[in-house]
Amino acid sequence: MKNILELNNVNVSFHTFAGEVKAVRGVNLHLEKGESLAIVGESGSGKSVTSKSIMRLLPEKTSEIKEGEILFEGRDLTKLSNREMEKIRGSEISMIFQDPMTSLNPTMTVGKQIMEGLRKHQNLSKNEAKERAINLLKLVGIPNPELRINEYPHQFSGGMRQRVVIAIALACNPKVLIADEPTTALDVTIQAQILDLMRDLQQKTGTAIILITHDLGVVANLSQRVAVMYGGTIVETGTTDEVFYNPKHPYTWGLLSSMPKLNSADKELMAIPGTPPNLLNPPKGCPFAARCPYAMQVCVDNMPDVTDVTSTHKTACWLLDERAPQVEPPEAALVGGAR
Amino acid sequence: MAVVEREKLLEVKNLKKHFNVGKNAVLKAVDNVSFDIYKGETLGLVGESGCGKSTTGRTIIRLYEATGGNVTFEGKDVHGKKSRKDLKSFNRRMQMIFQDPYASLNPRMTIKDIIAEGIDIHGLAKNDKERMERVYELLETVGLNRAHASRYPHEFSGGQRQRIGIARALAVDPDFIIADEPISALDVSIQAQVVNLMMKLQKERGLTYLFIAHDLSMVKHISDRVGVMYLGNIVELAESDELYEEPLHPYTQALLSAIPVPDPEVERSRERIILEGDLPSPISPPSGCRFRTRCPHAMDVCASKEPKWLEAREGHWVACHLYDNELNTENKQQ
Ligand SMILES: Nc1ncnc2c1ncn2[C@@H]1O[C@H](COP(=O)(O)OP(=O)(O)OP(=O)(O)O)[C@@H](O)[C@H]1O
Ligand SMILES: Nc1ncnc2c1ncn2[C@@H]1O[C@H](COP(=O)(O)OP(=O)(O)OP(=O)(O)O)[C@@H](O)[C@H]1O
Ligand code: SF4
Ligand SMILES: [Mg+2]
Ligand SMILES: [Mg+2]
Repeated sequence: MKNILELNNVNVSFHTFAGEVKAVRGVNLHLEKGESLAIVGESGSGKSVTSKSIMRLLPEKTSEIKEGEILFEGRDLTKLSNREMEKIRGSEISMIFQDPMTSLNPTMTVGKQIMEGLRKHQNLSKNEAKERAINLLKLVGIPNPELRINEYPHQFSGGMRQRVVIAIALACNPKVLIADEPTTALDVTIQAQILDLMRDLQQKTGTAIILITHDLGVVANLSQRVAVMYGGTIVETGTTDEVFYNPKHPYTWGLLSSMPKLNSADKELMAIPGTPPNLLNPPKGCPFAARCPYAMQVCVDNMPDVTDVTSTHKTACWLLDERAPQVEPPEAALVGGAR
Repeated sequence: MAVVEREKLLEVKNLKKHFNVGKNAVLKAVDNVSFDIYKGETLGLVGESGCGKSTTGRTIIRLYEATGGNVTFEGKDVHGKKSRKDLKSFNRRMQMIFQDPYASLNPRMTIKDIIAEGIDIHGLAKNDKERMERVYELLETVGLNRAHASRYPHEFSGGQRQRIGIARALAVDPDFIIADEPISALDVSIQAQVVNLMMKLQKERGLTYLFIAHDLSMVKHISDRVGVMYLGNIVELAESDELYEEPLHPYTQALLSAIPVPDPEVERSRERIILEGDLPSPISPPSGCRFRTRCPHAMDVCASKEPKWLEAREGHWVACHLYDNELNTENKQQ
């Protein structure tokens, strides 16, 4: 079995006073062993909700996985009891959040926090766990780990805290690591350290990574495949090269052309007009239709089917229907050596 | 571009802003910062969190009182004692746009009252009709419409709120706008809307900007010249193309090499300068050159002597001993 994780037609809703927020609408995704997949997209497009649904970390009272299955090594996670899920969370699949301070306990030493998961999931003795904690801190590049395991999170800088969070996430050798904006709160020079570290660790440990970000630069740096989300759906997915060099969806075009390129002459940026759809009352057709410069009547009325551009590259857009007019991507969307 | 002919709008000389933090501890947030801004240009200011970008902007506009140094606007001292009238006129001509479009608009005020606040303070409208005319015109200028005037901030998206912030700043017809991370809180597609708007307004109205941000590619896109800050100092300043193509300061070099570029092939082949260690505390910054603890080229002299602010090439300034010719000849003679 190649796929370690598979999401089939996943739908997630929140029940709020204002009504049902359809945050994730029919997401299909797969993750192969040891690979790294990026999920990109606008704020509110459903990236975090998708990943929290895998970890079953959504608020139990107000949210609901309405439809679909989430297969981890063939087992449907949506069907597991809380106790069974507890065993998987943190040992087989673990997650890193955006803000390192909120995911660390300020009243507990860094060493204890790393050891906690180890002792819970791996039955290690105290000394064994301590030794492993020191090794993990060394692995993520913290100097003097023997001393630093006795310190508290506030004694670490932002970049070091994120390293600790990564160490905790990796403690039990998970098969899947979900990193939700792991570098967004960090400065660029520190971000470079963390990305370097993640790439290095992936090679050493073979952990498969789902990276959630809105920074296309980070994607180009770290991921082999990309899924682009918009309005609770995946609008395009493919290898990183396919999505950057041969993008097919107008939202992906917009995303690529609204970023200034360091090496291009100063042209006006191509902004996407308007704002994302309201998921309380999502459009029945293509979620991007209201902002799409190429939208046709059919886009407003019907959700586009997924078209296979190649065996790895898929796009949900009516422009790929054989009856649609031929449209070329705007020049601003062409990345570097785009062919 | 003939630099000599341009007219200076703002001159900042040896600006200092120190905060007292606890017992005998002084945090030198801005320490001896000097630069000029020419009429009609955009000067970008970049650097990592806590290096003093916002404090520089806030001190220039007098939200903070400077600890030392001076700021002159069209030749007039900004920080010296001033009459109320001078102060008022100065406040009108210099405006600020803030980072957080959520926190910077009063939630209990309607959009028209938020935008018209400055018009009222400075008596720029003769009557209510004229006031509303101006508000409508401003809303249209920033790509919103009349119908938005009587709504409240929470009814708008982040990008729309930032447009309201821009309309508010424009209401008093300023010459100079300090934009402190105006797009950081926004999605990329929305960032482009706001940046395009700012550039269009600059062209139409001859505005001058100080544009503060940590997104280096956006700063390059919008700025004519860019200054790089590290721990309260400006370490390099040059025209943006020059700075990005030939950065001189080792910190600028590392910073530029650290930005991930949205191009997989470039990313695969790129040599990155990964800096060791973390940002030192501004309460006890390293002696000599403040960057020396992370600098891959640090020499002995870097620990003992603060580097001079040198014009290494025409219009390209840098504070680094590597470019100090006097020092290098001295070294050779020894
Ligand atoms: N607890 C909740 N209750 C109600 N709605 C929610 C809740 N959590 C998320 N949502 C909604 O679900 C949608 C998707 O949110 P999600 O957090 O997945 O976005 P995202 O893509 O991660 O965005 P960002 O880039 O801003 O993190 C949004 O419209 C959001 O408002
Ligand atoms: N009012 C204050 N009192 C004490 N210290 C302050 C105050 N304002 C800022 N500082 C400190 O001054 C230094 C510079 O802060 P500043 O906000 O100017 O940084 P910045 O470059 O704008 O960072 P960021 O990118 O995070 O906005 C920081 O160490 C900060 O903690
Ligand atoms: S389906 Fe239609 S509206 Fe949606 S992106 Fe394609 S062309 Fe645009
Ligand atoms: Mg999120
Ligand atoms: Mg700031």
